[in-house]
Amino acid sequence: MNHARVLYHMVRADFLERVRRYSFLLTLAFAAYLAWGAATGRVVLRLDEYRGVFNSAWVGSMMTVVGTMFISLVGFYIVKNAILRDEQTRVGRILASTPMSRLFYTLAKTLSNFAVLTLMIAVLAATALFMQFTHAEDTHYHLGTLLAPFLWVGMPAMAVTAAVAVLFETLPVLRGGVGNVIYFFVWISALAVSDKKGIDDYAGFFVIAHSMQAALKKVDSAYNNNGFALSIGDSALVTKRFVWTGVDWTAAIIWHRMLWVLIALAIAGAASLFFHRFDPARAWSLRRKKAPGAANMNRDTLTAAGPNVEGRPSVGRLTPMVSEARESRFWQLVVSELRLMLQGQRWWWYVVALGLLIASVASPTLDARSGVIAVAWLWPTLVWSQMGARESRHATESLIFSSAGTLNRQLPAVWVAGFMVAALTGGGYALRLLTSADWHGLFAWFAGALFIPSLALGLGTLSGTSKPFEAIYTVWWYLGPLNHAPGFDFVGSVPATSRALFCLVLSGVLMTAAYFGRRARMAYV
Amino acid sequence: MQLVIDGVSKRYSGGNWALKGFTLALKPGVLGLLGPNGAGKTTLMSILATITRATEGRVTWNGIDVASHPDELRAVLGFLPQDFGVYPNLNAVEFLEYLAAVKGLEAATSRRRIDELLNLVNLADVRKRPLGGYSGGMKQRVGIAQALLNDPQLLIVDEPTAGLDPEERVRFRNLLSDLSGERIVILSTHIVSDVEATATDIALIAQGTLVAHDSPEELLRRVEGKVWEWVLPSAELNNAKQKYLISNTSRRSDGVHARVLADAPPDGAQPVTPNLEDAYLFCLSHHRAGAAA
Repeated sequence: MNHARVLYHMVRADFLERVRRYSFLLTLAFAAYLAWGAATGRVVLRLDEYRGVFNSAWVGSMMTVVGTMFISLVGFYIVKNAILRDEQTRVGRILASTPMSRLFYTLAKTLSNFAVLTLMIAVLAATALFMQFTHAEDTHYHLGTLLAPFLWVGMPAMAVTAAVAVLFETLPVLRGGVGNVIYFFVWISALAVSDKKGIDDYAGFFVIAHSMQAALKKVDSAYNNNGFALSIGDSALVTKRFVWTGVDWTAAIIWHRMLWVLIALAIAGAASLFFHRFDPARAWSLRRKKAPGAANMNRDTLTAAGPNVEGRPSVGRLTPMVSEARESRFWQLVVSELRLMLQGQRWWWYVVALGLLIASVASPTLDARSGVIAVAWLWPTLVWSQMGARESRHATESLIFSSAGTLNRQLPAVWVAGFMVAALTGGGYALRLLTSADWHGLFAWFAGALFIPSLALGLGTLSGTSKPFEAIYTVWWYLGPLNHAPGFDFVGSVPATSRALFCLVLSGVLMTAAYFGRRARMAYV
Repeated sequence: MQLVIDGVSKRYSGGNWALKGFTLALKPGVLGLLGPNGAGKTTLMSILATITRATEGRVTWNGIDVASHPDELRAVLGFLPQDFGVYPNLNAVEFLEYLAAVKGLEAATSRRRIDELLNLVNLADVRKRPLGGYSGGMKQRVGIAQALLNDPQLLIVDEPTAGLDPEERVRFRNLLSDLSGERIVILSTHIVSDVEATATDIALIAQGTLVAHDSPEELLRRVEGKVWEWVLPSAELNNAKQKYLISNTSRRSDGVHARVLADAPPDGAQPVTPNLEDAYLFCLSHHRAGAAA
């Protein structure tokens, strides 16, 4: 067997399948948006009040930092479906019946992920050249200098992102929504650790940062070697320029960067150890260990237990159904939706939720309560993330959409159920606000409780998957409820950063989007 | 009770017509919708089940336009799609209870009916097991049960016996026979024997158009005197296939017994009683010949 040929075709088929989907256009649109932000000065790489003259070295490195920073986060969520897609299309089972090894498979998926991420980086590279041309601060074009940071910094970072995505998909705990939430914290921790220690990180920022800082130090001795920031919307902070001619790509630096490629390959190799090779029994038992035997159930079980053809019950003896007064069954549907949302949660999930509820009532200080409510509203993320996406994920659209009143009954019922989850998990905090007659706080809490299911339903309905909510909500939660960034704090525990009215308006917009998103998926309404 | 499909066409992106001017009026009974792969059966089923919008034409239920008032039809519709999913963490009872709530059915009555339906589809013993562990055939039976939840006046079943074992297939055929009466049942399949056992009417569809719509007896009449059994040496079988439409062959000690569809018998062939498969192949070959001409 020609291994290289097999690998090539596996990567090629996977890559083509991806880029021929409409969703890939969104991927490129994201890369183009990033590039546009950087090219128009909305995203600025600055060293205190300095930025570099837009020569080939600077624009190439700046775009690399922008791309690596964002694509290593967003790109992970984009490519973390390579194995899932093979499951959904059922191609995986065909592949599993071939001599293909697990290592080959995870390696091929890593390379395919890498190709997609590289394409996004390529969009930024092309824009870098365009940026140098339009700004015309330095008209000497050095293609090698411009592309070097993409090659030595961007690509190894993408290799690691690609491999980690495959690893997450193969690990039973991380392949679903839990992994989507955890990755954000892994990503931000990786960047934070390298920032603190000043070490070479997988994103490679400090290769560029050290070189820029050293160059600036020569120009301005007052510069303290600390400032290196990617700022969004802070271009006014930049008042000075300096000339930077690029990183001196020594063999040592390149070797360090290549180490990350080797690490990526090692991660892909590790992923192969956990890869279930599309064994449905194994995949199922990993997902649901509490139901042993279910995976092995087959028709023999039934044949032994079931009645024979002659002994069958008759259709004529079925209970006649009452079909009138459909509208009055709304609350019955809400309860069903709530049950469906919470179904499958383990006992410890409820214990933690209850613990957070009690803690939010019992916490003596506002700071403590504020922290507890933030966690209490992170805990059900995976419960909310099913909203609007469940029908598509489990292929029940044809069953649900052919029922009467789906748009006007089922969709609002899902939203009400999501609100109930928010109200129940955050109820302790609301109770404290109520007993202390903090009406502003209560209003902010209410707006937050409306906002979360609206965001989930809006994103779930529009995308048909739970991933956008899991990724966006986690980032939003980190910025808002945890770090109280203005405009993001939907919990409203800190009055200065609370934006309750904004939350309400946004909830309205998201619910409208959910309505029209669902409406567009249905043939008749 | 009447379902009228009036000049319905469906064009998919890329300009491919899956249905073209399909017209059919249905009254209570079991309609077997037969056609080869890619004939447009599933597209038609999806349009009738209000899942897909027709590009042209209209569908009316008891005189009401389904495009304008889809809920009029949905309220009395039972639909078993060709491909559908289940929620893996729910058991059969929970899943059916959920769908009963979505359909707006009264809780207490639907609970009783769910128990009965699970008995009917032979899943009573595994009713409390998560659906994620069900086999394909078992999931299909859950699909059959959900389609009957609301005691539908219009029951649409698309390839319902796919994945069922022979015993369950017989059960399902019997079930469909029981269901016929004061309701319209549309059974879409390419398995002729399923239709033979249950249908009161048959519609043949090919290349998105209606080829024939008749009772099984009338379709059989069309091929009377046109079906022959011909015994020939196996070496001559390939030549015979070039010359005649052969619906079946079986090898025996005296040679290959070929079932030939032709106006005039091959030399030495004996007339045999036609079956529905012969009628189906005959109508399709005539349609193809007409389309080619």
